[in-house]
Amino acid sequence: MVDDTDALIARTPEEFRRKLDIEVHTEHQVIEIDAKNQRVAVQAQGAPLRWEPYDELVIATGSAPIVPSWDGVGARGVFAVKSLEDGVRIRQYIDSEQPRHAVVVGGGYIGIEMAENLRHLGIETTLIEQLAEVMPSLDPDMGALVSQGLRDLGVRLLLQHSVSGIEVKSGRVRALQTNAGIIPCDLLILGLGVRPVSELAHAAGVKLGVKNAIRVDPYLKSSIPSIWAVGDVAESTNLITGQPGYVALATVANKQGRIAGLNLSGASIPFPGVLGTAITRVGTLEVARTGLTLAEAQNAQVDVVAVRIQSETKLGYFPDVSSITVKLIADPKSGRLVGGQIVGGTGSGKRIDTIAVAATAKMTIHDMVDLDLAYAPPFSDVWDPVQIAARALVSKMSQ
Amino acid sequence: MANRLVIIGGDGAGMSAASQAKRRNPTLRVRAFEKGPVTSYSA
Repeated sequence: MVDDTDALIARTPEEFRRKLDIEVHTEHQVIEIDAKNQRVAVQAQGAPLRWEPYDELVIATGSAPIVPSWDGVGARGVFAVKSLEDGVRIRQYIDSEQPRHAVVVGGGYIGIEMAENLRHLGIETTLIEQLAEVMPSLDPDMGALVSQGLRDLGVRLLLQHSVSGIEVKSGRVRALQTNAGIIPCDLLILGLGVRPVSELAHAAGVKLGVKNAIRVDPYLKSSIPSIWAVGDVAESTNLITGQPGYVALATVANKQGRIAGLNLSGASIPFPGVLGTAITRVGTLEVARTGLTLAEAQNAQVDVVAVRIQSETKLGYFPDVSSITVKLIADPKSGRLVGGQIVGGTGSGKRIDTIAVAATAKMTIHDMVDLDLAYAPPFSDVWDPVQIAARALVSKMSQ
Repeated sequence: MANRLVIIGGDGAGMSAASQAKRRNPTLRVRAFEKGPVTSYSA
């Protein structure tokens, strides 16, 4: 089988044409899918609508930031953020308007990264999160470590706060209204997550699933023959529960695209599913997660047992040794690993991949204790922190 | 086998599908439509 590793490199439309014989038409919007006649309506600026026939169609319309219905959400200085491109718009606003008080709503990946960047620019920053700690994709005991990391960067945290509206003056944001009063601000970042851009598919009769993402089978086919869906617009199966879920991550998007491309050209390869493995950094603190959290296990009615240990990233006599906290979650009957979370200093975060591999291979925590992992003093103690956690969970389960 | 492949969306997912399909079946005619100004793999 041909596997196109070159495809991982960013290309211009001209390169797609020249090297791969693929036509890419930018600034061309598909405004309708006519599934019955297997054609799409394409609109380019200043050109008449044209119908493009297909034998196979891939919907990869991605995701968009969630924009709440609050009055004033369209005011100057309010940004609903999804990606780097949004960062450019915010930077232009900062350069021209010189805001001094920023509020970030939402303590997920986007919110915490935005808050850190605003602090680096010397802007007074308040982050508001509805839950008890930031990072809802971690359990609250691990999220608390990230909350502290943000406070250490000088971010003011308002946890368990909710937003009721935006105050606008002369077309520009002036303050945020919350359940604990009014917070003046001249820059408001909304990091409320993303939603699949599935309207086009839905209008064509394609069946939607979790969070209105396109329902796909394991081969990434939609409910309509010859229509496939990949990336942030599509569902993905959770590898632990086997249930459909919604995970908008570039890692998943590229893998789904690859498999759908192979399948629609004659292969028959199922996409195994995802753990939602993710990593980020807040200041010097590395934050990573994979598999189910306690809350996700509870929602999926999966019985679990968990342990949290604190250790060090390398032997203690190195000047750059850091604290690392590892949480492991397993099935109490079989001992099968179902998830893990890591928060710690430099060298902590990528250890999540050990946990992700173990969970994918359906290893038990007993298997993990015996794993032959690399050791030398600059990298780890003889027991890697992940294995220290596995041992702690084994002894907790044997009690 | 199919010969006209249309992709809606020029980000990583859509262009990965386009590239793999074309490599596996070089006779495919592949057209991708992206509403924005650029295609990308890393978004």
